[in-house]
Amino acid sequence: MDRLKQLPTLRINTDEPLTLKYRRKTYRGAAGDTVATALYAGGVRIFGRSLKYHRPRGLYSLDGECSNTCMAVDGIPNVRTENTLLKDGMVVDAQNVKGSANFDWLGFIDKLDWMMPAGFYYKTMHKPAAVWPVAMKQIRKAAGLGVISPDDEMKGRYDEQYLTAEVTVIGGGPAGMAAALAAAESGHRVVLLESRPHLGGCFDYRVTTNGQGTHLYERARELAEQVKQTANIRRFEHAAMVGAYNNNLITAFQVGKAGDGFTERYIEIRSASVVVATGCIERPLLFEHNERPGVMQVGCAHRLARTYGILPGKEAVFSVGHDLGLEAAVDLSDLGVKIACVADIREDGQRPDLLEALAERDIPVLGGWVATHAHGGKTVKKATLSTVEGTVRRQFPCDLLVASAGLTPVSGPFILAQAGMGYDRRTGYFLPTGLPEKMFPAGRITGINDPDAIEASGRLAGLEAAAAAGADVTQAAAAARQAVAALPGPERGCKLVTAPVKGRKSFICFDEDATVKSVKQAIDAGFDVPELVKRYAAVGLGPGQSGIPGHNLPLFVAKYTASTGTPKPTTVRPPLVPTYIATYAGYNHHMFKRTPLHDSQKADGGIFRNIGVWQRARYFSEDFDCKEEILNVRNNVGMLDGSTLGKFRIHGPDALKALQRVYVSDMSKVTEGRIKYSAMCNDDGCVIDDGVVTKLGENDYCFTTSTGRAGQASEWIRYHTRFDNWDFHIVNLTDSMGVINLSGPNARKVLAKAVNIDVSNEAFPFSGYREFFIRETIPVRAMRLGFVGELSYELHVPASYMQTVWDMLKEAGAEFGIRNFGVETQNVLRMEKCHIILGQESEQRTNLLDVGLGFLWDRTKSDAKTVGAVALRQAENDPGRLTLVGIRMADDTRAARDGAIIVDTKVRGYVATMRKSFTTGEAVGMALVESQLAGIDTRLQIFEDECNGELLDARVVPMPFYDPEGERMKL
Amino acid sequence: MFGKRKPLWGTKKRLKSSYDAVIIGGGLHGLAAAYYLAKEHGLTDVAILEKRYIGFGGAGRNTAIVRANQRTQENVPLYKEALDLWPVLTKELNFNLMFNNCGNLNLMHSEAAMKAARMTIATAQFHGVESHLIDAKEAKALVPALNISEDITFPIHGAMYHPPGGIVRHDAVVWGLAKGCAKHGVHIHQQTEATGILSAGGRITGVDTARGRIQTPRVLVSAGGYSAGIMYHMLGIKLPISVLTIQAMVTQPLKPILDHVVSSGAYHCYANQTLKGEIATGAHMDPWPNYTTQNTAHYIKHQAEALSDWLPCLRGVKFMRIWGGLADMTPDMAPVMDGNDPIDGLYMDCGWGYFGFKSCSAVGKYMAEYMATGNCPEMLKPFHLRRYENHRLMGETAALVNYTPDN
Amino acid sequence: MALTLTCPVCGKRNGYEFRYGGEDKGPRPAEEGLTPRAWCDYVHMNTCTVGIQKEWWCHRDGCGAWFTTFRDTTKNLEVKPPEAENGQA
Repeated sequence: MDRLKQLPTLRINTDEPLTLKYRRKTYRGAAGDTVATALYAGGVRIFGRSLKYHRPRGLYSLDGECSNTCMAVDGIPNVRTENTLLKDGMVVDAQNVKGSANFDWLGFIDKLDWMMPAGFYYKTMHKPAAVWPVAMKQIRKAAGLGVISPDDEMKGRYDEQYLTAEVTVIGGGPAGMAAALAAAESGHRVVLLESRPHLGGCFDYRVTTNGQGTHLYERARELAEQVKQTANIRRFEHAAMVGAYNNNLITAFQVGKAGDGFTERYIEIRSASVVVATGCIERPLLFEHNERPGVMQVGCAHRLARTYGILPGKEAVFSVGHDLGLEAAVDLSDLGVKIACVADIREDGQRPDLLEALAERDIPVLGGWVATHAHGGKTVKKATLSTVEGTVRRQFPCDLLVASAGLTPVSGPFILAQAGMGYDRRTGYFLPTGLPEKMFPAGRITGINDPDAIEASGRLAGLEAAAAAGADVTQAAAAARQAVAALPGPERGCKLVTAPVKGRKSFICFDEDATVKSVKQAIDAGFDVPELVKRYAAVGLGPGQSGIPGHNLPLFVAKYTASTGTPKPTTVRPPLVPTYIATYAGYNHHMFKRTPLHDSQKADGGIFRNIGVWQRARYFSEDFDCKEEILNVRNNVGMLDGSTLGKFRIHGPDALKALQRVYVSDMSKVTEGRIKYSAMCNDDGCVIDDGVVTKLGENDYCFTTSTGRAGQASEWIRYHTRFDNWDFHIVNLTDSMGVINLSGPNARKVLAKAVNIDVSNEAFPFSGYREFFIRETIPVRAMRLGFVGELSYELHVPASYMQTVWDMLKEAGAEFGIRNFGVETQNVLRMEKCHIILGQESEQRTNLLDVGLGFLWDRTKSDAKTVGAVALRQAENDPGRLTLVGIRMADDTRAARDGAIIVDTKVRGYVATMRKSFTTGEAVGMALVESQLAGIDTRLQIFEDECNGELLDARVVPMPFYDPEGERMKL
Repeated sequence: MFGKRKPLWGTKKRLKSSYDAVIIGGGLHGLAAAYYLAKEHGLTDVAILEKRYIGFGGAGRNTAIVRANQRTQENVPLYKEALDLWPVLTKELNFNLMFNNCGNLNLMHSEAAMKAARMTIATAQFHGVESHLIDAKEAKALVPALNISEDITFPIHGAMYHPPGGIVRHDAVVWGLAKGCAKHGVHIHQQTEATGILSAGGRITGVDTARGRIQTPRVLVSAGGYSAGIMYHMLGIKLPISVLTIQAMVTQPLKPILDHVVSSGAYHCYANQTLKGEIATGAHMDPWPNYTTQNTAHYIKHQAEALSDWLPCLRGVKFMRIWGGLADMTPDMAPVMDGNDPIDGLYMDCGWGYFGFKSCSAVGKYMAEYMATGNCPEMLKPFHLRRYENHRLMGETAALVNYTPDN
Repeated sequence: MALTLTCPVCGKRNGYEFRYGGEDKGPRPAEEGLTPRAWCDYVHMNTCTVGIQKEWWCHRDGCGAWFTTFRDTTKNLEVKPPEAENGQA
């Protein structure tokens, strides 16, 4: 089709031709075209088939309120081709068709609608029960629109922007641009969002004039130029607002244009105030076959011609309820569309100049008339019009039926921001009953239509928003208020709910094929509020959200139920415009913490796992039983990177008091040069952390926490002392210090070679704490611990020196067989010693006493109000609690799996950790069992997953399993 | 074929001045309790008071997943019974509840999680509930869209596969139970807010509503997320509950791509495909109490990031809408079901967090028994309120109690 | 929602920087003679206020301070202290 090339309103550049492929045919478009306009120009009228009835669907609105033009584009499903800009070489395909969009084998389903009344799913296919699974498979196959496959990949670059602004304006039409310009006068930072690829809104394509005699499209371009020239307005075109939240947080996404560094961009704006200038969409007209291809809304027909240079049809009938319809009829007539007739729902109140213009062109106007039926199998061939009461009918042949019941405001931002919505009797709109704080409406959304009034209301809203954001604009605002008052206010809107039809094929919701009839059925079944109808009859839950049914459904429900109250709108939900998951995900980088030794651990063959926020070397060979690693620590010496350990210093006059509050032991007994192992409980007495405390001086301590608790330790201590006004400071040293655990009978020999202090057992005994320098440079805090059950040194080293110290020890240990060990080896070694790991041998049902750490608890310090002490005292003699015990399998070759349960007729406990010990040759582990089963030698029966009822035998044995006297750690 | 359309749950009834039992909350638990009271115990003079419309709250906001693979033996049998009841109720109510028995996969992202799963699986198997530990490749075979590469935030080690679970159409359950209630004579009063609970001499005497006073010897508070507020504001009774907003969302409808319910604790994310073809996904909650049911910008983004990782083919799919509901969380992730303490005739069924949907059928049955007989059924005994002061939290979550409501 | 909170040290910040620390239940009770029920009431029980409540927050991703503030649980917005609280302060 040849385009209208000379129009000053065009947004396509015919000098820049683009092509796309659809069903092996190449279509030509131009830069600025959408996929759908290019197809329309190439003669495509049916873009796909509807969800339920496989009805042909065509171009209806151009702004994506329905999924009529959703197609698969370059393999991506459900792309709204009507507002997706054409790129050269795109390949598109129709959706939900067997065959093609034009010839769909499933088109017959449309005739079977009588079998599928509202809610029919709920009443059928469940008798007999065997039918349902079969039926369900068919339903699943029939449902859904787009197709994706498991290995689909979404290409492109996805950007994120987080902005702050004093004023955010949603909508780049005349009101929005005026608002942005006004708000910017005070120097505020202004963000302007426009969902179409260009600013201009409802002025962009119109050739009528404003009060100054300027064509509206020219005025739009003037305003856009001013916006571009204003440095403190950041404008985002092709950026649809998708979410509005309280405290004026606005989210949007922008589609990148040629040359942009992103495919799509997620935008989040924290704004002091917001102007909502989203304008109006059209309220669909309800009549028989109101979505037949060839039926389209006023703006769609008008913009096809004015913006894209495509005549929407040859011969048109108009059925409208708003002056924009008359304006479009005049303009399209001038552009070459033959207008057979304009039916206007309104009997009077039309703009006289428009009626004159229509008369001049010999276009008959039928006041008080409306379309009742679009005829034609696949596209419109004929239209029936009737009086609004349905008394007189006339038919007109046509290939285009421009139909619209009037306008409806895009009030989504208000609803999302929790504004109450009410029915306004003058405009017939649902409008906010109270505005959210610092949110201001502007433009057509308030019911005005006069071009000058639109701009004036924008200016006023912009100034009010600037004032709400702190600017002093008193005088300017007063003037703007006067200007608004002098111009026409909200207009009376068309209130017609439906054409005089029964409604079997009058679609309230296109996306889900919900008709006037099915809505009546739902109401008859007792679903008499719009929110319930929405669910039962499936209205407005499709991809188009409530763009099509949003206004009509509540009007219809109110009318049909003869509700005495006013219509109540249904809610809308974000995203207001469906948005790619890829776009929301943005950069989506993975964030992890790595220890200072990460690279060298990796080079040494470490196999890493994510543990909490860290990446840690869990194994150093493919043998996940870690036999060699384990035996090397037991027999020679090994080294573990323990840098993830939480490390803190606490100091200040009340530091000891704070420790007394959170640790169960008496922390006044911590002495310099010695470490103290203790635990923290929560207020239920459950152990939440354990670690060692060392004293650096008076009210000056260091303590360690488990890896998982490092993030919360400081917060925890401050929480439990929040009423006390104590003076202490906590410094988190976790990331600035690394930890090397040097363990095994040869550990001392290695350390002695690397440092020049006396490391003999006498000078540095078990439980000792020393501070020294390596080579007079590297400060080291060293402690002798026994977590793995061998002679063991834990060296705390500044992170920047970690690699150096590690390498020195490695070199020193070479002759003693030193090698790495990982987290799993440590897990087995400590299990043999029955040293617990919190969360592994403890859980919500176990307290400090249950897991055998009662010896840590000092009951004499009740003045300290130690966290957990009350609960421990109260639960102390409670029978039947879970208790930690050592267990050994009857068959040492068959260790039960971690997580196996201990049963008789009931579940009595479970295996926390169990291994076949390479050291002792026994299958041993720790289990949590009800206390009556905790006695030594009690026989236990173990039920493993997939055991088919065959139980394993075990018995309770003393702990620990290795070196019960603890001699090896004290070597 | 469908006959003349009558209101599904009867014509609107006049609010009487007295009932044998009053149920506050027209959600799933209230409807189910009323249904069983009327059907099994002959207590048909029952009123359900619903402030808005039935199914307004959690009943219509959950993502309809059902399963019986809880952690402890106190919970598994209850959920198992609930699971077994879906086909029974479909028949009994003559209403298609659309049980899609597609099975659930609970992904495990570490060796430790695999171990923890083993305990849960063994408990399930011990109680005759099918559940298996499968490795990442087996999971991928069931859900080809899974990303089992090592190069994601939480690599998938395996999954807990629970074939008996699936999805039920939540609205159908609401409407079906309402239909059943009406059939047995229960009065469902929508747009009727309970404004006070009356007692005298330690016994329940009535309920005040916006439409007048009702005398009754029995009240069940089963108002989902609003229960704790009702208990405190009307009776001064505090509960170990924090009311949080939990969000869920759906994508545009797609042809079949996900044949199971898949969830991941590490990602705080689950996904399943509805019969309509939408991918329903959700899980995480804002960890501070509120009654708004507002959704957040933060969360829809989080969800997209998570899905991009473990179900990357969904990146080219669009989110269509997100919504929020209330979850009344307890410290041990298990509900409070109790009665006659501290007031005779006062029953509570709350603290369900986000498990209220999957349990509703069985709980309705047992709460009805409790209310009709005054004696607590064995099945409900472990869920009494006093367990918190006895330091006997349920262990349904392995995690330790912290000071924040999400633990 | 887009909760913001006012940290006494850092000012008004995004709600996600903070950690909720529960309803304000006052200082830890003395241990002497504390019954299990009274203790449970302090540790676990909440009023679940529908409306404005005084509550604890920690500016976790900021200065680390614990502070109390008032928030309307029906709007999820931080609010000014109610009059009575002001009088006592």
